[in-house]
Amino acid sequence: MTSVLAPVPATDIAVGSASARAAQNRAAEASFLTQLQAGDQQAFSDLVRKYHAQLQIVARAIIGPSLAEEVVQEAWVSVYKAIHKFEGRSSLKTWLYTIVSNGAKTRLRKESRQVRFRDDEEQQSYLSGERFASDGHWSSPPANWDMDTPEQLLQEEQLQACIEKTLLLLPPQQKAAFTLRDIEQQSLGDICNILDTSNSNIRVLLHRARLKLMQVVDRYRETGEC
Amino acid sequence: MLRCRQVAEQASDYLEQHQTWPQRLAWKLHLFMCVNCRRFIKQLKLTCDMCVDKKSPEASDKEIDAVMTKINQ
Repeated sequence: MTSVLAPVPATDIAVGSASARAAQNRAAEASFLTQLQAGDQQAFSDLVRKYHAQLQIVARAIIGPSLAEEVVQEAWVSVYKAIHKFEGRSSLKTWLYTIVSNGAKTRLRKESRQVRFRDDEEQQSYLSGERFASDGHWSSPPANWDMDTPEQLLQEEQLQACIEKTLLLLPPQQKAAFTLRDIEQQSLGDICNILDTSNSNIRVLLHRARLKLMQVVDRYRETGEC
Repeated sequence: MLRCRQVAEQASDYLEQHQTWPQRLAWKLHLFMCVNCRRFIKQLKLTCDMCVDKKSPEASDKEIDAVMTKINQ
């Protein structure tokens, strides 16, 4: 017979606390949504505070920087008017992305202009030059990093500043693809719909953004600078 | 025969598992043999993992006020 005082295996504690946290998060989200749907303006301000920057990234990728702010503001008005109809079939975040994306696409049609898929960089600098021999194999292979886990990389404050700076300087479409996929963990299918771009284009944008960030880590590891 | 250059240029497709199974098999074989490509893939994945849940900047009070004013018009 097992004593009730017998120690609970560590894995059970971890799983238990993770599921308890997830349940708490769900409850907090449900309560927040109730406040939003009741027209609570403070809750709506909090929503804007949290998601405005991400929505701008999406709008800029679709319509360009000059009209993005206006499109996002109009999207917030639509969100405010429609929040009581939100049924939770997607996450609130995905719903917000869809509203701003639709707004940006409609505006693009009205303006009768095209924002071309602008990512015609010939070669990413990380992979250009003498990295490869004529037979296609490495001539200058990647250097070994002394940091092996994401946590170790995150501890380097200077490196984090370099990453932030690089993210700011990415072309709008690369930035949107990277933000939606690697930061916000949206599916590739959803990203194609949100950005109105083909799957293959999204994968190209994503890879180029990742290579630029990887290059930043590589340079930082070598020189201690951005 | 897969070249290192192809691996480096298409590494995100490997991470996203956007490959047919014969392609994936060829990649597995290449990665088994090539320490440099293994390192490249590992570093690319590490770069992506570092950014998961990276906090996006919050909107400024001025931006929030502009939105709230528009909503209440």
